Amino acid sequence: MSGRPPVSGPLDEQPGRRPAEQPGEGSGERSSGPPGERSGERSGEPLGARSGGPLGERFGERAGERPDGRPPGARTESKPLFAVERRAGRAVQRVTATALGPYQSAVVRIGFAGTWLLFLLWELPNRRELYGPDGPWSWDMAQQLIARNGAFTGLMWSDSTVWFEIVFAVAMLSSALLLVGWRTRTMSVLFMFGVLSLQNRSIFMGDGGDNVIHLMAIYLVLTRCGQVWSLDARRAARTAARRGAGHEPGAQGARDRVGPLLWGCLGVFLIIGTVTDRVQGAPWLPVLFWGVWIAQALWWAANLYAPNGQPRALLNVLANLVHNAALVVIMAEVCLVYATAGWYKIQGSRWQDGTALYYPLKLHYFAPWPELSGLLTSSGVIVMLLTYGTVAVQVAFPFALLNRRLKNVLLVAMMLEHAGIAVLLGLPFFSLAMIAADAVFLPTGFLRRLGGEAAGLWHRLFTQDRKRLPEQRRDSPEQPARTLVG
Amino acid sequence: MDSYDDRGGPAGQPPGAGIAGLSLPGQLTAVVVLVMVGLLACTHLAMVFLHVAPSNTITKQHGKAVDAWVYPEFEQNWKLFAPNPLQQNVAVQVRAEVAKDDGSRTTTGWIDLSAEDGAAIRGNPLPSHVEQNELRRGWDFFVGSHDDKNRPNGLRGQLSERYVRRIVMLRLENHDLGGSVERMQIRSAASSVAAPEWSTEKIDTRPVYRLYPWWTVNATDLPRGVRNGRTEAGR
Repeated sequence: MSGRPPVSGPLDEQPGRRPAEQPGEGSGERSSGPPGERSGERSGEPLGARSGGPLGERFGERAGERPDGRPPGARTESKPLFAVERRAGRAVQRVTATALGPYQSAVVRIGFAGTWLLFLLWELPNRRELYGPDGPWSWDMAQQLIARNGAFTGLMWSDSTVWFEIVFAVAMLSSALLLVGWRTRTMSVLFMFGVLSLQNRSIFMGDGGDNVIHLMAIYLVLTRCGQVWSLDARRAARTAARRGAGHEPGAQGARDRVGPLLWGCLGVFLIIGTVTDRVQGAPWLPVLFWGVWIAQALWWAANLYAPNGQPRALLNVLANLVHNAALVVIMAEVCLVYATAGWYKIQGSRWQDGTALYYPLKLHYFAPWPELSGLLTSSGVIVMLLTYGTVAVQVAFPFALLNRRLKNVLLVAMMLEHAGIAVLLGLPFFSLAMIAADAVFLPTGFLRRLGGEAAGLWHRLFTQDRKRLPEQRRDSPEQPARTLVG
Repeated sequence: MDSYDDRGGPAGQPPGAGIAGLSLPGQLTAVVVLVMVGLLACTHLAMVFLHVAPSNTITKQHGKAVDAWVYPEFEQNWKLFAPNPLQQNVAVQVRAEVAKDDGSRTTTGWIDLSAEDGAAIRGNPLPSHVEQNELRRGWDFFVGSHDDKNRPNGLRGQLSERYVRRIVMLRLENHDLGGSVERMQIRSAASSVAAPEWSTEKIDTRPVYRLYPWWTVNATDLPRGVRNGRTEAGR
């Protein structure tokens, strides 16, 4: 087997999660001789430069130009000497004053929470075989591996089936609640807990789809992804409507009982976990858990006691900063995915001779519809065009971000390709996850129209005419001011 | 908690939000955090970039730092079907030595477990990880943690052997072997995918077998629910 030509396992994915246990291992157990020694094509150089840019300005430019759907033409022209400073100043003001991309972050939240929820529901009958203490990858085997790779999983806290069922239930429940945006930040933390716990428990069960969900679950914790399309936003809109125009943000905190209760309960778990040294894993994880927990308390207190005060304003600024940085990381991560996938393909002989697409379609593990696959592969020209097209789109995507229209065209192409992969290769959850990741680049105008249609549909289907107006209104008249933002 | 979301977007922003609306100490804090968060994000992206990039000057010198940052939670591999897609179907096949109720022993024929996966996937719009990943990735894990002479390399190698045995025992449970499995032998059959009909390439599609030694099955190789023929034997 070792004498094979360099091949890569389809979608292999969360490989061994073992850093330097032994040379050559760790990334891609099976992708035998990847272009390891060749340094000619430094796939990401432009990317690295791109993502490494100064946060503020880059982001200002990005946000102005893409996600919100408007060219940054509205920039004021100033004296050349001060132009840079003024632009920098404006960018800083912008990233501190607003959590950019409210619709993009919401669609990513909904996409990943939904994908993971559907996956868990679908695997419900197989959950014990996949992640349970007595599955083929048994609890003590996982224990031995995790002791060495230091991954985080709540499932190692006990080998009882009851505990496993609890964690699984938490994972499902938190996905559902994150999807609808109920106590979004808290649910995002629980969502991350669920994802890491299950995936790290049985790393050899996952594929590329799990890998994206894993990463995004972590990044989502840092975003304000419940600003729109969430129960949180609806609650806020209702409170605001009730108070009329001159609302005081703080007063809601006073009436909120569920929040403090949830916070208290999770705090107890967190304290117990820390005292008993259960919150193992990467050192930043306890910091993240505790950080979010403390920040919640500060935010709650600031809203309650000084809704218009400086502490609240500062916390707001900090939360915006973290959100905006996380959103940049999410976007850059998607670019890295495509850049890696594309640039490595260029080096493969099958991608060069235009037959690559034929092979995965002939693998028994990825052939749910052999006749359909056969139909697609019956023409060499079509296979070649799709093969080249795939590489071109993947390699081009990060650069296409410089041009809005091109970006949107490629985005559609990639989403369609993933839809095709979902059916042809039998990878629906992988494809859903990738589409959810792509969605971070969808234009605001499109997303709002989509949201409007969905709301309208919901309205027609499920509600009579009662006063659902407050939230409806949220999506319309206020928004124009928002479009420039994200 | 979460009440920041109650802010409900722009409507809830107090006037003069952003850094401009802060007092001087607040502004200083914000700037410090801005710089820190910016640096952290850039460092993270640089590390992830180096992690997915081919081995290069920087990773040769600072590979440890990159690994320390990325593992275990940010590990990723996006060489999807790259540099070349897998071009062979690898089937894991097993035969078992079964102790019959009457005390005799028989050896079964080769049972193709991968083919069973394939059959479960065919016509299934939503294949389970159990069918698509369990054995396939488990076998990759096994092959990847053994050397050419089939010796396990350390803990991972040993774990992978046990993992494969447990998967096999779970699968064999669905077969009526008429007794309990005492030993098992595995072979892999790698058959190259035939060249496309419109291609002039000639590819030998005959399977290449690789035979592994017999393994004795013991209690730790049985996932829960696997009776390995014992209860039937008792009846």
